[in-house]
This record gives sequence, C-alpha cells and structure tokens, in this order.
Amino acid sequence: MKTPDGYEIIIGLEIHIRLLTKSKLFVADENQFGASANANVSFITTGHPGVLPVINKEAVKMAAKMGIATNCTVQQYNYFDRKHYCYPDLPKGFQTTQDNQPICINGYLIIDGKKININRIHMEEDAGKSIHDLHPEKSMIDLNRAGTPLLELVSEPDIRSADEAADFFNLIRQTAMYINICDGNMQEGSMRCDANISIRKKGDEHFNNRVEVKNLNSVRFLKRAIEFEVKRQHTLMENGEETEQETRGYDPVKDITIMQRDKEMAHDYRYFPEPDLGPVIITDTLMNEIRSEISILPQQLEALLKKEYKLSDYDAQLITTEKPIADYYLSMLETVKSPKRAANWLNTNVREWLNDNQAGIESFPIEPGRLAELVNLIEDNSLSHHIADRQIFPEMLKNQNAELSLLIKALNLQEESSDEELKSIMEALITQFPDKFEAYQKGRKGLLGFFVGQVMRKLPESDPKQVNTYIQKYLNKEIK
Amino acid sequence: MRIDDVLFEHLAKLSKLKFSAKEKSKIKSELEQMLDFIRQVQEVDTEGVEPLIHLNPDGKLREDVVKVLSTKEEVLKNAPDANEDYFQVPKVLNSK
Repeated sequence: MKTPDGYEIIIGLEIHIRLLTKSKLFVADENQFGASANANVSFITTGHPGVLPVINKEAVKMAAKMGIATNCTVQQYNYFDRKHYCYPDLPKGFQTTQDNQPICINGYLIIDGKKININRIHMEEDAGKSIHDLHPEKSMIDLNRAGTPLLELVSEPDIRSADEAADFFNLIRQTAMYINICDGNMQEGSMRCDANISIRKKGDEHFNNRVEVKNLNSVRFLKRAIEFEVKRQHTLMENGEETEQETRGYDPVKDITIMQRDKEMAHDYRYFPEPDLGPVIITDTLMNEIRSEISILPQQLEALLKKEYKLSDYDAQLITTEKPIADYYLSMLETVKSPKRAANWLNTNVREWLNDNQAGIESFPIEPGRLAELVNLIEDNSLSHHIADRQIFPEMLKNQNAELSLLIKALNLQEESSDEELKSIMEALITQFPDKFEAYQKGRKGLLGFFVGQVMRKLPESDPKQVNTYIQKYLNKEIK
Repeated sequence: MRIDDVLFEHLAKLSKLKFSAKEKSKIKSELEQMLDFIRQVQEVDTEGVEPLIHLNPDGKLREDVVKVLSTKEEVLKNAPDANEDYFQVPKVLNSK
C-alpha cells in the first residue's frame, strides 16, 4: 500500500501475549486452552469474597524476560491495580492489571535500522468467555480463561506503515516464542493486537484523532485493517471532515472496519491499587535467574547464522522465523559438515514436506541428526544430491528408525555415473568399433542396444536409464 | 460534597444498576456522607509522607503449581443460575 501523497501514517500497537504458565496469574487453577467449560475454575477465579489471590512467580519471570528481550527497564518494584467495568465474564467486576507501575518500561526494537520504541509491558489477567448463540434469551459464561496471565505490550506511535506494523508484530511474536513465554498460536488467540491508527499532513507536529481497531488476530488482518483505516481517514480529511476518536472492529469478510464504541461512551475505569495483593518485588537474585534463562534472540541468531555460518539473508531469515525450525537447524549444526547445505535441505525438502502436510516441524519424521548424516554423505561425495533427494529422503520419511547405511544398502542404489566418465568410455568404443558407429549414423538405430551393453559391462553399478539417455544423445551428436 | 443527578446516573450506569426514586435519595445521601468523611481525611497534612499502597509489603510470590481447589459442581452450585457446564446470565451483547 502507498501512503497517500502529502500524508504520514501514525500507528501504535497494543499486543496481548498469553503466557505459557501452568497455573493462572493469581490462583493455582490450571491455565489450559480447550478444557471443558468451567473445568479450571475455583472460588478465587469466581471472585468470591474472602479468598486470597497470590501472584504467580513464573508469570513475573516471563514478563521480565520479555522486557529484557525488548530492551526495557525492568522495574524491580511494581504492583497491580484494579480496572473497573461490569461484564458477566469478568466475575470480580474489575480486571486486575498494572496501570500505575507496570513491570517493564521504556524499551525498543530496531527493525531494518529503524527504532520503534516500546512504552511499557504490563501483566494482567484475561477475562472469561461469553457465548451468545447457545440460548435465545441467555448468555453462557465459561470462566476457564478468567484469571489466566497475559502481557500487554504497548508501542509508542512510531510505526509509519502497515508493513512496519506487521514486521513489529512478527518480531514480538518471534521473540516471545524464542524466550518460551508464549506458543504464538494466532488461531487459538495466544496473541491478539489492537492498532491505534491516525494520519496527518506531512510536517504537522500534532497528532489527529486516532481510531483504535480492536482484537486483530492475524498479521494479515492487522495490515488490512490499517490499509482500510488509512483510506477512510484520508477520504475524510480530503473532504475537510474530522476523524472521530472511536473504537472500531475489523470485519474480515467485508474487509472494512466498523464503529464499536464512540467517545461519548468512553470508559471510566476508576483505577486504584489492588489491596488484596502485595507488591511485586524482583530481587537481584531473581533478576539474575531470569537473565540466565534467556537464550539467543531471533535477531541475534539471524546475525550469527549470516556471520559465522555464511548463510544468505534469505536462508537465515527463513530459518529464524519460527523458533522450532531454528532449534531443528541448531541441532543439525552439531554434526553437519556444511551449514549451507544443511540450510538448503531445511528450506527446500523439509519445508516442502511441512507445507504438503500442513504440519509443524515437531511432527516431521526425520530427526535433525539423521538429516545431518544424509547431508554429510552428499558433502563427502558418497551420494549424489539427486539420489539423496529422490530416493533416500523419501525412504527416510517412511522408515523413521532404520539406520541410514542399511537403508541405502537395502535400496540397492544404482549410482549415477558422471557424464565425463561416460564420455571417455564412448570415445574409446568408437575408436574400437568405427563401423558400428557409422552404421548407427546411417539409420541402424537398433545398434543403440549394442553400445549400451558395452558401457554397462564397464560400469555395472550405473543406472541403465541414465546410461541409455546419455548414449542416445551422444550418438545423435547432441553432446559435444 | 453534593452528589448531583448527573454524577449519580453516571455511577449507576458504570455499575449497570437501576434505582427507584426512593433508593436513589437514600444512596445519594450515603455517598455524600462517605465523601464528607474522605474530605476530612484529606485535610490531614501528608507533605513528605510516602503513600501506603500495600499493608503487607513483603512481595511474596507463588510457585507455578496447579492445584484443584474447588470442583466445577461446587462452583456452579453457588451460581445464581447455571445451565449444564455454564454459568447462565441474561443475554448480553457487545456492551463491553
């Protein structure tokens, strides 16, 4: 999409990240997607009076990790607040969140040389789920999700296009997956995003009214929603009208945004510190523990693969995009001799299998060590790429446990002969049988079999089909 | 401090509650009493005093361990209305 001439697009994102803790944020109820309705609900989740919520240490650690990974200051003293609104899937009548003192502040990411600042990352609990289509007059409430831990990451309005927004979102998702705090599953809502969008005339200092598009659950929808809003706001401005500051939703079927809540209904959340919880205090010891648990981050890994292993931008990017694929590659590196060849196999053969089977690398049948073994055989010239690709790889997919050397033996593989080898044999044969060669040229095409037989006698391991094709070409003088 | 009708209606709306005229005048006067009490408290000079946010400031955290504290049956038994596995409430749509 092109930015309208003379305008500038201003975008800030609020990204919700569902944490992979075992239990909920303030109670030992299981944090689990897809359980039967209300299976993971105790009297603390329902907000009964007199219960004692206690903060989950793992959630705090995960929040701090995300902060460290995005260059934030981790506030070693921070606390929770109540955010009040009434809705049936919010049993307490308030959401426990962090307003005044969030756990992480003032971070940034650099994407393609451009700095995008992060205002804050705070912890909060999710709400339950309302189901409206099970009963004509009633709504059904499932509180399994109520009280599960989320991070909300808020960027500064530093993003200037739909593509930048997508890159930022993708890097946040990648980062969260690399530090093992979120599964990144967009279909199941493990990450959701709200986009604050406005446009202004180039050179203007002030921001115009912004529109908040809520609950975008895919990168494609994020981009589409931005593109639609920019067009809509541009038309309004060109007509001399002002954009209303309002909340909108994106309708993927119609590919438009729709007003959900105007500013007249703007909320009054009456925040105040949550008195039922103590403060979050991250001791220096805990900080060190948290730091030690962060392994390599996506941008660091991409740089490393390019610098140390000489991968191309394309290969390095493709490998680092998904954490499980990066892990698979790193496992291959433990034994593989050619990192470049390993990357090729991963980005072509393996990726093709993943696409064909619509599967993740977790379900790929060949262990990284075994694939490395195959790649090494090619590197050593013990196998041709062609045979590895066409015959052995498919066989490895079928026989997950068979030893590679036995597999190759069992296939009774016919080795491809090199063209040069074939050529020198043919040249010798023509000197030996010039009359047969001439006869073939004059039309006795049946003599092809004679030549093939002679060559096969000299190269018994070779592939007859390949030899046949080569000799035919040779005799027809298609080979110089 | 006076609670006028505009503020009262705003608070009622935020709380998703409706009141009769009689209830309204009673609650208004109670709210006014509370605010008067707060005003008295606010008269105290707190210059240089750190706000007390947490009565128990030790910052104790809980290990991330799953425990079953109450069953679905117990929890739903305490609900005003339930249907199969769900809490059941009057139909609500999009007024979040």
